[in-house]
Amino acid sequence: MTTTPVIEVENLNVRYGDFHAVKDLSFQVRRGELYALLGTNGAGKTSTLETIEGHRQATSGRVRVFGTSPGDRQAVRPRMGIMLQESGFSPDLTVRESVRLIGGLTRRTDDADRVLDVVGLTRKAGTLVGQLSGGEKRRLDFATAVYGTPELIFLDEPTTGLDIQSRDALWESVDRLRENGSTVVLTTHYLEEAQERADRIGLMHQGVFHREGTVAELTRTLPAVIRFSLPPDAPAVPLTVINHDGALHIETFDLQKDMFQLLGWAHDHGVELSDLSAGPTRLDDVFRAIDRTFNGG
Amino acid sequence: MFAIAYTELIQLFRNRLLLVTSLIMPAVVSGFFIYRHDAFATLGSLGYIAAVVMFTIGAFGLYTTAVTTLAARRQNLFLKRLRSTAVSDRGILAGLLLPVTLLAVVQLTVVLTALATVAGGPSNVFLLVVAVLATVAMMVGLGLATAGMTNSPEHAQVTTLPISLGVIAVTSWVGLSGTEELTLLKRLLPGGSATELVLNAWNGGVAVSESLLLLAPTLSWVVVAVALAMRMFRWEPRR
Repeated sequence: MTTTPVIEVENLNVRYGDFHAVKDLSFQVRRGELYALLGTNGAGKTSTLETIEGHRQATSGRVRVFGTSPGDRQAVRPRMGIMLQESGFSPDLTVRESVRLIGGLTRRTDDADRVLDVVGLTRKAGTLVGQLSGGEKRRLDFATAVYGTPELIFLDEPTTGLDIQSRDALWESVDRLRENGSTVVLTTHYLEEAQERADRIGLMHQGVFHREGTVAELTRTLPAVIRFSLPPDAPAVPLTVINHDGALHIETFDLQKDMFQLLGWAHDHGVELSDLSAGPTRLDDVFRAIDRTFNGG
Repeated sequence: MFAIAYTELIQLFRNRLLLVTSLIMPAVVSGFFIYRHDAFATLGSLGYIAAVVMFTIGAFGLYTTAVTTLAARRQNLFLKRLRSTAVSDRGILAGLLLPVTLLAVVQLTVVLTALATVAGGPSNVFLLVVAVLATVAMMVGLGLATAGMTNSPEHAQVTTLPISLGVIAVTSWVGLSGTEELTLLKRLLPGGSATELVLNAWNGGVAVSESLLLLAPTLSWVVVAVALAMRMFRWEPRR
């Protein structure tokens, strides 16, 4: 991975009539990294992604992909693979015909059968797209995105509707593409996928970037949580405890020390800690914190 | 563009319903007009039969199929998919409409040749070719414009009716009553001047230079249709 930006977004605004979907958004995606654009429903991530892909005009601001406008299809699209959020294939074409058509129109060269083998659709090559399952259509979508091993790949909710084996196979393919130097921009509702794979994450909410950084940078701003329950006659815990309808939480920036203290207290008083669990802050905790900040949830 | 056109041709021949409405139905109607050419020539003229079959194929074989195709490709996001490639918008539209346009031209050639063989040929083939090409351009342009206000292939069955039936009605009106009365109105209506051009080409008796002036209203409809299409055409379904 290098610091050379493949995507540059400066003060991007996207409006639909009176609705301001994306507000003054600025960020860069570096060559070779996997950048995850995450957000709640309606956060503006699809509008952002589609503007970068060149599917949508920015209301104002500047977007550059490989140093040029994403609207310059002849220059940009041969270097860019796009996996759309929804399928978009003709039901009357076969799988192989679809890959050949869309792959060929990107002006990249590849072997359709090789790509179908990568996504596990070889046996469906002669099947009409209209007869594929939802998961198979997602794999076909992925096949056209990675046709010709593009330098930049957009994956818009790539694993939605895929079974676990297909998910693993897709991520293995993404890993191989990244080994070859491809840059990946990902949106997903599966936060664990982003947490596990993204080099950097942009968290969007109501059209703005709420936070941006590595997983460690994003999660270190929030405390880890120790969760447990106590019998009604238990003595007072020597730590600050939050009661969520009987489920007790201790929020801590020093998980080991506070866990040690809690377990020591329970042992000394002969108290059983029911449903005990503890763990580092996860991305979904960051999401919930953002939601609480904006919506008071 | 040609790769898109090739796959469009494949899809057209795999979709039996579209094949019937776009190819077989106009051919059958045209065949009927040619078979009963004596009766229709008595009502109007051979030029009238030529104009009617031209607009039958133009309206149902070309215009309706073009609208249905574009609406279907938009509805299932195939247009958006094509826009994720390196092909320009014009290239995409050209690729999508080329097969149905070529098929219509081939159909028209076959049908008009059959009419000429059975009932006697046109006085001026050049003028007839010009009339056919201008009509094809007009119907493609109107198809693009209508596709902008058509949400789905099912919706196309409704949105295409006014123009499809309208041009057939105008053709019959002009073909049977001539343009001596209400001349301007008849020539300005879509299909009116093209019909008169076909009548002149087939029946003869009018100077070529005078007939060629009739191209202006037809080509104006092309300009109007393309201008409308540029304002109204959508690449993605309404959300």
